[in-house]
Amino acid sequence: MHVDLQGPWSPLLGRLTLGAIPYTNPILIGTFIFAATIALIVVGTVLYFRKLPYLWREWLTTVDHKKIGVMYILVGLVMLFRGFIDGVMMRTQQVLADGPHSAGYLGAAHGYLPPYHFDQVYSAHGTIMLIFAVTPILAGLGNIIVPLQIGARDMAFPYLNAVSLWLTVAGAALVMVSLFVGDFSNAAWVGLMPLAELPYNPGVGVDYWMWALQIASIGTTFNAINIIVTIVKMRAPGMGWFRLPVFTWTMLSTNIIGLTAFPVLTVALALLGADRYLGTHFFTAGLGGNFMLYIDLFWIWGHPEVYFLMLPAFGVFSEVIPTFSEKPLFGYITMVAATFAIAGIGWSVWAHHFFTMGLAPNSIAFFSAATMLVGIPTGVKAFNWLFTMYRGRLTITTPMLWSITGIVLLLVGGLTGMMLSAPAIDYTVHNSVFVVAHFHCMVLAISAGIFSAVVYWWPKVFGFKLDERNGLAFYWAFVIGSVLVFVPMFGLGLAGETRRLDYLYDPQWMPLLIAEEVGIGFYFLSVLFFLRMLYVSLRDRVPAKGDAWETGRTLEWMTHTPVPFYNFAVTPQVHSRDELAWRRANGLEEAKPDRYVPIHMPSNTGVPVIIGLLAAAFGFGLIWRIWWLSGVSLLAIMVLVIIRSFNKNEGYILTAAEIEAMENKIETASVIAEQPKRLPLSEVEAH
Amino acid sequence: MSTHHANPLDHAEIRQGTVLRYIVAFIISALCMGAAMLAVQLKLPFLHYAALVVALTLIALLSQAALFFGLDISRAQIWKSVSLVLTVPLFIISVGLTVWAFSSLYERTMLPPSGVTQPGMSAPAVPGMGPMGAPSQPTLLQ
Amino acid sequence: MATMTKAGPDTRLWNPEADEHDSISARTFGFWLYMLSDALIFTGLFASYAVLSTPMNLAGGPGPAQVVNITEGFWQTLLILGSVLSYSLASVALKAGNKGGVALGIVVAMGFAAAFLGFGLHDLGGLMAAGNGPDRSAYLSMFFTLIATHGLHMIFGLLWMLVMLVQIARFGFTADVVARLLNLRMFWQFQATVWVLIYAYVYLMGAY
Repeated sequence: MHVDLQGPWSPLLGRLTLGAIPYTNPILIGTFIFAATIALIVVGTVLYFRKLPYLWREWLTTVDHKKIGVMYILVGLVMLFRGFIDGVMMRTQQVLADGPHSAGYLGAAHGYLPPYHFDQVYSAHGTIMLIFAVTPILAGLGNIIVPLQIGARDMAFPYLNAVSLWLTVAGAALVMVSLFVGDFSNAAWVGLMPLAELPYNPGVGVDYWMWALQIASIGTTFNAINIIVTIVKMRAPGMGWFRLPVFTWTMLSTNIIGLTAFPVLTVALALLGADRYLGTHFFTAGLGGNFMLYIDLFWIWGHPEVYFLMLPAFGVFSEVIPTFSEKPLFGYITMVAATFAIAGIGWSVWAHHFFTMGLAPNSIAFFSAATMLVGIPTGVKAFNWLFTMYRGRLTITTPMLWSITGIVLLLVGGLTGMMLSAPAIDYTVHNSVFVVAHFHCMVLAISAGIFSAVVYWWPKVFGFKLDERNGLAFYWAFVIGSVLVFVPMFGLGLAGETRRLDYLYDPQWMPLLIAEEVGIGFYFLSVLFFLRMLYVSLRDRVPAKGDAWETGRTLEWMTHTPVPFYNFAVTPQVHSRDELAWRRANGLEEAKPDRYVPIHMPSNTGVPVIIGLLAAAFGFGLIWRIWWLSGVSLLAIMVLVIIRSFNKNEGYILTAAEIEAMENKIETASVIAEQPKRLPLSEVEAH
Repeated sequence: MSTHHANPLDHAEIRQGTVLRYIVAFIISALCMGAAMLAVQLKLPFLHYAALVVALTLIALLSQAALFFGLDISRAQIWKSVSLVLTVPLFIISVGLTVWAFSSLYERTMLPPSGVTQPGMSAPAVPGMGPMGAPSQPTLLQ
Repeated sequence: MATMTKAGPDTRLWNPEADEHDSISARTFGFWLYMLSDALIFTGLFASYAVLSTPMNLAGGPGPAQVVNITEGFWQTLLILGSVLSYSLASVALKAGNKGGVALGIVVAMGFAAAFLGFGLHDLGGLMAAGNGPDRSAYLSMFFTLIATHGLHMIFGLLWMLVMLVQIARFGFTADVVARLLNLRMFWQFQATVWVLIYAYVYLMGAY
């Protein structure tokens, strides 16, 4: 039960010493100055405009699903930027370090990043992009849209929803802290075994990676529970299962995956944690350990995780394309069936991630065939989208462009995926950047879904549309960047470039590497256009209508724009799959409720954000082996949860008069408006 | 959120439980496990023994699902039953495919300690193992 | 298209009565989903156990047949089933709103559970004292982890019962308390289910 640690340890600070601060690395100093400046500007602005109480009352302590969704997406975008910068660093290193005569800078033999630093960069890139950028953004979209699409007041468990958010933030914060205190894992985002074991990785990098994932995935599991219960139990009257919008269907299947797959990741990481902290021998090289078990467990989670990310993007395409084709979705039933077929088959394909690692031919044949099966429902979906557009009245707006691009990327990524599912091809190109280019096409399709969704639903939350001109510039820069980075990457993979190389040996690859670097330049441009789009839209704030695109089909477009914090003043009765399209066809789209009834709302609470802080402290303590800090944080979380269970948490009542006043002046009810203090039920009764 | 109105004690999930069904669940589970324990003494062939234990365990699990958890297709319980039925394949897939893949993986990639041929057989004091369990080279190269 | 019905003059567009959701059902279903995800944690552990219980994983240490004691395990099975029975009977007393009956059932359930944990600790302690701790071999790492994960769940359940005893005394049977008691009932029954699987797979199969 004893593990040998390298370096000093003290009871007060654990393994933390001044040496853990990388104040000699110019890259990290630059990063620190950049991050500190941004933080100072944000904090300074909040303090200057005296918005701190507002921030605490209306955002940090909120249990409103839309605000929680917005914060999820904000965290995701920040992490997306961080992951993008990691990508820039990798591409720049490779273009500088190609061939034996390439120069070295900043202490590196080739390029500007020494191998250990480069390894951390790609490990961070993968972890951040999948777990801390895309996952929170999709969770945020689900949070905002699902209750609106099914006509619910809020999620089934508003308080748990806030806890999920802050646990995700705690994980993301740990990844960010690893930049400036200690280092991050150099064992890839998947955790290469036994490289991630203590003897080969004696530092804190792997611990940062492990605990950040572990804490964030608890948040994801809670969020999955919440969304499933919301969809099963909180649908508006009349909304039978086959009237559910497809985005909600995909969120349901995605969160079923989240609920069932993430526990297996928890097991894989917990066993690794036991190896690193308690001296057990699950994945060690000696004493009977078997690192293949880790790979198996990791991908039991890892492959469903791919569909966990992919399915919501499919849902977005299925909402955006009908809206801008002014036609109902083609093949609704097959679309839903395909969604669940993908989720189901996705559970039995995981071994294709390690075809080359010694599986027997019969196992490989099974997993290869199962992998190819996924192509069938995916193909069904692609054709359904095409047939939806066929003979539709198309309006090519930016959300529509993103969705169409998503289908194209899905095609490229899917077909290369079919190639890889054939074991003979997989043996040839495995671990090459061909594979990297393949799965980047898939995640780019997810990104296309995300940007489509952000532009599409933005007016619903904030009351004004995003600027279309800058949105187009952002779109084109992104698309050109994607083509320039990933088409050459397919070629490099076929030419034999393997993954994760800080030094490339073949100078003939140079032209393609330069093309990729130019592509990265376009990506950089797209980031600038994205920021400009935000700036221009926030500056102009052209008010949008309730049905912001005027051809919306589903329930969320029946609410006001911006959507009030209580969603629907009166819960709608649902008559059709595309309720708003149905009301429009019957001339009822402007119909307002004739009377209002009081609404029971949940009260805000500071407990979730404190739990998030304590979870981050708990993780930090474990990473640096500051046992007292972890112990105190864990105990505090337990005490806090128990104390809260003794509160009555009965919420408050919005009276019919208040609702009527807000309905007539909808800005006062928007997510950014400040709400007057409303007394909880018991105090109202006491007065 | 609503917590008022109906008496919480009238909730269907409370109304459902009876003394009899819980006691029956207890007896079935205890008897099944007791019978399975005694079956070790029978010295059956391994596959027969395994089948017997699996069958008894399944009976115990089903009795618990139906009587302890009270899973059925009533309005109060239907979603629990559905979600369980949807999840059971995942239990089987993850354990089953893992065991299947590893059984061949082991044959292909790992050298069993010498003297051990049959999986499932325990290996007390394997010759050729060092004190730390690391096989000494000559044994491996034989 | 079947969904395209025509709106008439008495088509109802809004439904002010729709707001009341059954909060207890939502909570028990949510907790049930949590338990399914917990069940997948155990699935992962069982899969790992299957992989790590071959002769290759013993590293010269004891194997399943030397580690498990099926008679002791059977006593544990009876204890945990008894604990679940007792808690379930407490929930029958809940039907009548009988505070004393509920509290008694919970206290007896806690007693059985404590005895169960005592057996488990004695087992693991004996192994460690003989030098066969979790750091001895991959097999023992797995055995300890599986048993300890289940044990931690039990300890968590005990803590929860303690809290519920206080809440019953303080609040009586409010909707909050009732929902928690129902969740705890499922949680506790689930521990017995997991133990039956552990007993069948680790103990009985291992002893062969």
